[in-house]
Amino acid sequence: MNNALHNWDRIVIHADMDSFYAAVEQLDDPGLQGHPILVGSNSGRGVVLTASYEARPFGVGSGMPMAQAQRLCPDALIVPPRFKRYQELSTIIMTVFSDFSPIVEPLSLDEAFLEMTGSEGLFGEPKNMGRQLKEAVKTATQGLTVSVGVSGSKYVAKVASGFAKPDGLTVVPPTAARRWLAPLPVSKLWGAGEKTQTRFAAMGLKTIGDVANSNPSLLVKQLGNAGSHFYSLSCAKDARKVKSQHTAKSIGSEHTLDRDTRHPREIKNYLRRSADAVARRLRNKGLIAAGVRVKLKTSEFQLLTRQEHFDEPTDVADILYKKASVLLSAFQHSGPFRLVGVTAFDLRTVKGPLQLSLLKRDGRERRLESTLDKIAERFGEDVVHRAGDPKTTLGADLVANLDFLDNTEGM
Amino acid sequence: MKLSASRETILKPLRAVIGVVERRQTMPILGHVLLAVQENQLSVTATDLEVELLAQTEVETESQGAITVPGRKLYDICRALPEGAKIDLSVSGDKLTLKAGRSRFTLSTLRAVDFPTVEEIATQQTLTTKQQTFQKLLEKTHFSMAQQDVRYYLNGLLLETEDTTLRAVATDGHRLALSELKLKSAAEKNEQVIVPRKGVLELQRLLNDEGDVDLTIGAGHIRVHLNGIRFTSKLIDGRFPEYNKVVPNDIKSVITANRGLLRQALQRASILSNEKYRGVRLDLGENNLNIKANNPEQEEAEETLEVEYDGPSMEIGFNVNYLLDALSAVDEDQVQLGLSDANSSCLIKGPTTKNAKFVVMPMRL
Repeated sequence: MNNALHNWDRIVIHADMDSFYAAVEQLDDPGLQGHPILVGSNSGRGVVLTASYEARPFGVGSGMPMAQAQRLCPDALIVPPRFKRYQELSTIIMTVFSDFSPIVEPLSLDEAFLEMTGSEGLFGEPKNMGRQLKEAVKTATQGLTVSVGVSGSKYVAKVASGFAKPDGLTVVPPTAARRWLAPLPVSKLWGAGEKTQTRFAAMGLKTIGDVANSNPSLLVKQLGNAGSHFYSLSCAKDARKVKSQHTAKSIGSEHTLDRDTRHPREIKNYLRRSADAVARRLRNKGLIAAGVRVKLKTSEFQLLTRQEHFDEPTDVADILYKKASVLLSAFQHSGPFRLVGVTAFDLRTVKGPLQLSLLKRDGRERRLESTLDKIAERFGEDVVHRAGDPKTTLGADLVANLDFLDNTEGM
Repeated sequence: MKLSASRETILKPLRAVIGVVERRQTMPILGHVLLAVQENQLSVTATDLEVELLAQTEVETESQGAITVPGRKLYDICRALPEGAKIDLSVSGDKLTLKAGRSRFTLSTLRAVDFPTVEEIATQQTLTTKQQTFQKLLEKTHFSMAQQDVRYYLNGLLLETEDTTLRAVATDGHRLALSELKLKSAAEKNEQVIVPRKGVLELQRLLNDEGDVDLTIGAGHIRVHLNGIRFTSKLIDGRFPEYNKVVPNDIKSVITANRGLLRQALQRASILSNEKYRGVRLDLGENNLNIKANNPEQEEAEETLEVEYDGPSMEIGFNVNYLLDALSAVDEDQVQLGLSDANSSCLIKGPTTKNAKFVVMPMRL
C-alpha cells in the first residue's frame, strides 16, 4: 500500500463542471470555441446564466443582466440556453460519477460530491481518483472539462475544486487541510456572507487561518452558533456525510412569457402547466410538498411571490394548481407580468413519516395524473396536455421555459 | 361630520374592531374603518368581507355624517396620544382632520357609501346560551379547524343544532374535536352552519363576560351582539364531512391515564421530536406506556408512564401536537385513549364526559 494513503481516513471528491452551459455550447458548435460567449436570453431583458472563460476577464458573471454584460464585453456572443441539452449531458456526467462511487450527492446539474472512502483499491491514491474522474468525464461528454477537489471532508473538497478552475485538480490531504486553508480569505468559509465577512473584518480576522487561531468562545459570543460552525470549518473539521439520496428543498417550474400579460386566465394557463410539471417531478422522485409558492415577475423586473402551506402535503398537480390560483388573487400588483412560476417547497419523502388521514380523499385526480405520467414516459411529455392550454411544441426550447433545478441545501 | 371625545372613548371601539382590518388587503377600502355619527353615537365598523365588527360609543357631536379613514393609522395615532387627551374629528372636503392639544393630523378618506357593510341578515333562528359555556365550546374545538385547506369547508367550525343541543365540530382531516352544550330552549330548526376560522377566532376574543349571548343565524351569516359590539360573519357555503362516520365506535382497548402526567411526559418528549413531523411513538404494554421521540440529529427522548391498560401490546405513532391539543381540552383529571390498531383513529375523552370527544389519526413513523 502506498505510504501517502495512511493519513486518509476519509476521501471526498467535489466535482464541478467548468462554466457548464457555455462549455456545452462551445462543444456543440466548434465555431464558438475560443470566443467569449454568454448563455442567456437575447431578448435584452434576460440575465447571464453562464459566461465562458473567455468572457470572464471582462468582469462578466452569472446572474448579471445581459445588457450590462454586453457593455462590459461587447465582443461576446449571446447564445440562448438549451436546457434539454444541458439536462442530457448532466445525466451522462452523473452516470460517470456513479461509476466512481455508489454515494453521489448532486448539488445541481453540473456539480456533485462523491464519497470515495475505501475505494483506493479500485482507483489508487486520491490524486489518481481525481485524474481518472476528469478523464472519464471528458471522454463521456466528448470534451467537457471538470474541476475536481479531493480532501477528507465536503467543505475542503469544495474549496479545493474551485482552487484551480478551469480543468483543475487539487488534492488536499486531511492532515494538511488546516494549513492549506489558512491563507485563504474568510469569504471562502462556507456560509460566510457579506454580513459575516464584515463582522470578521471588525474582529481583525482576514484569513481562514486567523479564524482557526482565534478564541472559539469569543467567536461564539460575537456570532452565536454560527461562530462555532465557522471555527470548525476553519480547522478543516466538517463531519457532514455525502448523501446520495439528497432531499431537494424545493422543486419549481417557471415560464418566461412570449409577451407580457396581465390577464388572469392566461396566467392561470401557465400556472396549470407549471403545476403539472412540478407534480410530475415530485411523483418521479417520491416526494410530497407541504407548501406551494407562486412567483410573478413584472415587466419592470419586480419579483413578487406569494406562498402558503397545505394542511396535507401533496404531489397532485390539481391541488397545487388550485392553491396557486387562490394565491394568484392575493397579488396586489395588476401586471403586466413577464414570468410566471410555481414552486413546491417543504418537501418530504412519501416513504417518510406520514400523517394518516381521517377523511377519505377523492383519489381520482391522483390516479388520472399517474396515468398521464405513464403516457408521458412512453410517448414523451408533449403528447397529452390540458385542453385550454395553448401550448405548442414548436420552438418550446427557444424560450427560457426553465423547469429549474431542485434547490438543495448546498454550500 | 364633526365630533369630540376623549382619547379613551375613541380608542375603545377602535381597539374592538381593529383586528379585522387587514394589513395587506386587496381592496384599499378594506384597510379603512367606517366612522358614522348619528345623534350622539359614533359607530366604528371594520370588515375583511368575511367578518364585520361594529362598535359604538357616546360622543359629543356637532354635525352628523359618515366617512371612512385608514383604520390602522387612526388607531395608531389615537394610541400614541397622551392619556386623557381630548380629540376633535372633523371632515372637510376629502380629508379627515384630527386635532388633540397641539397635535394635528390630516387623514385621507374614501366615501362611506363604498364601504361594504352587512345591514340585515335574513334571520332564521336565534339561539341563547351562557357566554362562558359558549366560549368553552369554542375553546374545546377551535384548534382542530383546518388553516388553509383546499377543502374550504374545513377552514371553519361546524355549528349544529339538534333540539336543545348545540354542537360544535372541527376537523383538519387529521384530527377532529367535538363538543356540545345545552341551549336554554330547543332550537326552532335543526341545522348545520359553518363559521369561518377568522370568525371563530374573533368571536373568541369578544366572549368573556358573565351573562347570556344570542346567536342569530341567518341564511348566509351569523350575528352576535356582545358588550356593545355587533359581530357578523359570513357562513361558509359548503357541506361539512359526516363527522359521525369518523368518530370510532369499535374501540378494542382503552388506556386510562392521569391527564396531567401524560401531558407533561408528552411535552418533554416533544422537545426531541422531529420538528417537521412532530412524531412520537407510543409503546403499549400491560399497564405501561412508553413514549419515544427522536429527531434527525439522532437525539432521543424516552418517557415511561404507569397507566391502566390490559389490551394487546401495540406500537403506534402520533403527531404529538395533536395529542397535546386534545389532552388540554379534556376537563377531567383522568383521560381515556381508545385504540383499535396502529392504523386506526384514537378516541380521546374524559372517562365520565359525555359532551366532548376528540379523535386523532395516527402517524406512520
